[in-house]
Amino acid sequence: MAATWNNEYYIALEGRDLQANAMAVDNSGTYVLLAGRRYIAIRNLDEDLEVVQKFPRQSKYDVGAAEWNPTNHNRELCVISSNQRLEVLTWRSQELIQTHSLRAHTRVITDLNWHRSDPSLLASCSVDTFIHIWDLRDARRPSLSLSAIAEASQVRWNKISSHLLATAHDGDIKIWDQRKGTAPVQYVAAHLSKIHGLDWNPNVETQLATSSQDNTVKFFDMNNPRRAEYVLTTNAPVWRARFTPFGNGLVTVVVPQLRRGENSLLLWNTANRSTPMHTFVGHRDVVLEFEWRKQRAGSLDFQLITWSKDQTLLVWKIEPFLQKLCGHEPDETREEIAISNESSEVVKIKKKTSPKIQPLQQEFSLLNVHIPNLEVTAMDPVNRTCTVFANVYNFSVYLQVSFPNAYPHGVPPTFQILHNSSVTEAAGAQLLQTLNHLAQQRVSKNRTCLESCLRQMVTTLEQLSADSENDRIFDNSYTEPNVFGGYNDAYIPFPRTSGAKFCSVGILVCFGRAPHTRRFSGKVEATTPRALSALETVFSKRSSDHVTVSAYYYQKQRLRVKQHSRNASKAIVHVYDVSGLLLTNRQLAEEYILDGDIATICKHNAASAAVVGRWDLVQAWTLAELIACTRNKDEEWYNHPFGNQLSEALISHYAQHSDIQMAAMLSCIFGKNEVNSSHQSKKSLKYTNDTSPYHAIPPMDLPSDEWVFPTLKHMRSTSLDNLRLNEIKNLLPKKNPSSSLHEYFKLSYAETLHRWGFLYNRAEVLKYMCGPPDKHEGVEFFTHCKNCLKPDLYGKHCTCSNCKKFSLNCIICHLSVRGSANCCIVCGHGGHTKHLKQWFEKRDVCPSGCGCRCLTETATIFAT
Amino acid sequence: MVSILNSIDTGHEDMVHDAEVDYYGLRLATCSSDNSVKVYDIKNGGTALIDDLKGHFGPVWQIAWSHPKFGNLLASCSYDRKVIIWKEQNGKFTKYYEYANHDSSVNSVQFAPPEYGLVLACGSSDGSISILSYISETHNWDAKKIQNAHAIGCNAVSWAPAITPTSGEFRDAAKLVKRLVSGGCDNLVKVWREEEDRWVEENKLEVHSDWVRDVAWAPSVGLHQHTIASCSQDRRVIIWTSDDGNNWNSTVLQTFDDVVWNVSWSLNGNILAVSGGDNKITLWKQNLQGNWQCVSDVVKGQGQINNQ
Repeated sequence: MAATWNNEYYIALEGRDLQANAMAVDNSGTYVLLAGRRYIAIRNLDEDLEVVQKFPRQSKYDVGAAEWNPTNHNRELCVISSNQRLEVLTWRSQELIQTHSLRAHTRVITDLNWHRSDPSLLASCSVDTFIHIWDLRDARRPSLSLSAIAEASQVRWNKISSHLLATAHDGDIKIWDQRKGTAPVQYVAAHLSKIHGLDWNPNVETQLATSSQDNTVKFFDMNNPRRAEYVLTTNAPVWRARFTPFGNGLVTVVVPQLRRGENSLLLWNTANRSTPMHTFVGHRDVVLEFEWRKQRAGSLDFQLITWSKDQTLLVWKIEPFLQKLCGHEPDETREEIAISNESSEVVKIKKKTSPKIQPLQQEFSLLNVHIPNLEVTAMDPVNRTCTVFANVYNFSVYLQVSFPNAYPHGVPPTFQILHNSSVTEAAGAQLLQTLNHLAQQRVSKNRTCLESCLRQMVTTLEQLSADSENDRIFDNSYTEPNVFGGYNDAYIPFPRTSGAKFCSVGILVCFGRAPHTRRFSGKVEATTPRALSALETVFSKRSSDHVTVSAYYYQKQRLRVKQHSRNASKAIVHVYDVSGLLLTNRQLAEEYILDGDIATICKHNAASAAVVGRWDLVQAWTLAELIACTRNKDEEWYNHPFGNQLSEALISHYAQHSDIQMAAMLSCIFGKNEVNSSHQSKKSLKYTNDTSPYHAIPPMDLPSDEWVFPTLKHMRSTSLDNLRLNEIKNLLPKKNPSSSLHEYFKLSYAETLHRWGFLYNRAEVLKYMCGPPDKHEGVEFFTHCKNCLKPDLYGKHCTCSNCKKFSLNCIICHLSVRGSANCCIVCGHGGHTKHLKQWFEKRDVCPSGCGCRCLTETATIFAT
Repeated sequence: MVSILNSIDTGHEDMVHDAEVDYYGLRLATCSSDNSVKVYDIKNGGTALIDDLKGHFGPVWQIAWSHPKFGNLLASCSYDRKVIIWKEQNGKFTKYYEYANHDSSVNSVQFAPPEYGLVLACGSSDGSISILSYISETHNWDAKKIQNAHAIGCNAVSWAPAITPTSGEFRDAAKLVKRLVSGGCDNLVKVWREEEDRWVEENKLEVHSDWVRDVAWAPSVGLHQHTIASCSQDRRVIIWTSDDGNNWNSTVLQTFDDVVWNVSWSLNGNILAVSGGDNKITLWKQNLQGNWQCVSDVVKGQGQINNQ
């Protein structure tokens, strides 16, 4: 190995473009497989050069887990999981060939594990609650399926017994025996939080280590699973804890977090669990996977291979003294004899002096200086000082850090804000307090603290400056929007996860969380937080792996409810018909008529209301009939002051109940009377005007009394009467204020009908509108008189306004057209709608014989 | 009285933040933390996915359908500071317009009543409200911004109905006054009115003691000319009424157990749906004495509306 070792590790690979999230080391310790969504790469560790073979992958899914077959017999086999599939790859003569692709599960595969000794057995587990054991000799279906009821996150074969395997389900463990596949042989309620990792002790058949979100690693004896044999407590959630191949050591790694934090691996001695034996410092980002390499022949060192999110593959050398710290006595065959002869006291001294491996200089060299808003101005390992400059918004701080000789073993560095800084006294004091606290925490565990302190410094300054200028809206740079975490989140409201919206007419759309979700509450909080930043603070306390809104609600579920939550997706939207709560009735809207004389309308509508069972409306319609219908001229109720008031009272009663349907219908009915009376008055006016100007106007026809409804400025009635109303306008009383309310009811009801798609009924209602009709926007047609050859811009009539002749003769019957007509836009021929319809039912050529294919050509004009 | 029409498993990979059915009640749009917007055909109880709109790079907070006379338009707003207006063409939705002139998460979008033309209001956490109007002559969108509408951030916007019983001369677009109401992190509910080319603050309603999460201007049928509902982090829902548009009276509907997120009026303005952090939905109705009553107990037994 000619690779350059940087004290304790060397960089085997820096693959920026790989984006791998799974790593596996083969049985011989030669090849490392890195798998990501786009590539699978294989690195030969025995080669000095950074030779990587890359194989592109065509998949939209990331690789979940990867593992080489641990047996010699099938050592070229490697399995990776991709969503619900298992892909078995064969690595032979520098070629990677896919030999199996199993659709193994119905949901995403969470973990897989080769059998330790049987070369063709593979176990996989999934969110679909099953644990399948596959025999690659016949991989069409699993050779054994274990049904666990709860989703499994980890599966591990026992390293000694060939029949046992363990699976992790949230906070619990199940132990299975291949020979008894129906139910687990042991059930261990191990943790209260989620178990992230499982590992069997390679030397003790019944011992299992579990690493969990609750910051602990517990060791269980399967013969006595009631309580943990012993517990190892760390200060962060543990992602994986794996036994070392030597001694009784254990390596742990923290859960990959969203925020940059602890990137180191810790080496523990399981016999002495108070402090870690060693910290592997080197990665600039979280460690995604680590694995032991098979011990090289003739070497005393063990090697640990780690792959981190910073896209570097590091190979760590575990020297004999470290092995010794874990209670392992290396084979003293060569120069190590000297050490072995030393007394245990020397070992102690060795332990004391072990900090020398990590002198201050090394920490400086490892410091990632690319911290936003921070600049390291000076690093002096001789005088043991470091000076940094941070510039956050309105604060610029020069900070000097001095490291005592004993640092980092229980002695924190001292921090000092230099005088040329611009920071308020209070903020400076708070900054120093925070830094001292953090440094003390870390050095009490014999860990270095410079980088984390510097990051904390920037964060603290940002918070302080945000506090001091709460009202200012920061023009901060564009942050990665995909992830919650911008500090601006403090101003963004906490997302809604349930809601109800009224839509269309009687539809209520509801969405919400599944009923059994529980809030992930760090403290006992009575209410939901208000800002999005609450997510971040909760998760920085808990250090979960995913910061999303759903994680906030779903994290803490217990197993039994989890089962349900998976079956019932968390994103169900219910659409309710709440029209039963509204007074507006869809069936009535369809049944009601407005065409005909009032007595018929009222009778028909009363009958419709009776069919629906609305007896209150039957009464109302009967009453309306009484009011509105004039049986004989002596008892015209509508024109009677009492009748008028009664109709008003009826309408406002329904309006107050928000029964827009009834209010609008009654407005129409009484409006109809109004229309009739105004018609009458118009006609009589015309009559009187025509016959004799001196004739007295019959008082009955004169709508001059206050209680008579106003006549309309312009009517949209079915009659073709084109009388102008200007003459009688002066005689009419002032517009009644309630009439605009009536118009409003009609309009609202028309919209309701429109939403229901009852276009005919809507048009009927709109015909009763008194206001001017909608101004037409869009294409308008004018007739171009064929006799006088002038455009008729005013005429909406069948005669030309210039020459008074009929403007259109039907091309079929050759009579002039009054009323409904249709013309071809291309050739201009046309005539009675009825005639043209009959013609074009059979033919598609113009009846004039001009050769125009009217139907198709008109269609093409509108298409373009 | 209440029956379920559809239950749609939206297949969103994360929490749903908003759902709305279109004008005719035929299509459902949903949006989620998984950055996508989905559109379903729910005609006759169906649940067919029409389209899955991916264009946002952050959780999508709210969506809004336009009036069908402008075509089938759907607006969505997101944490990624963008507002996207999608247009349906041949059964597929494509990006029609994208508005990226906010400096922080956009929390609320709503189309104005169709009488005003195609107009969209957006409220953002940068404190401003944008009013986007489509100019049909030039086929362009014109954006007006109310800067600093709410200190810290604006959480919700809602348009006043164009036609009210008092507006009298309806159908005369020139005489209609555009009004909208907004709620924000300054605990205020504000009423805005368009005057010529500017938007002026007409009223500032101050009763809530914490962030206002949603506001809804009721379609005005009934006793009062103007009614607004607002809900807040302070767990209260307040009904604001006014006869003249200047003097507003407040009534506390109820203090709930948890934060209230959502208020929505029925089409005719007589029922109010309230939902909040406790994952419950309640319906409220005003009786003739003017008191608000919860009517969802009736609903509970029959329609299981409480998302239980």
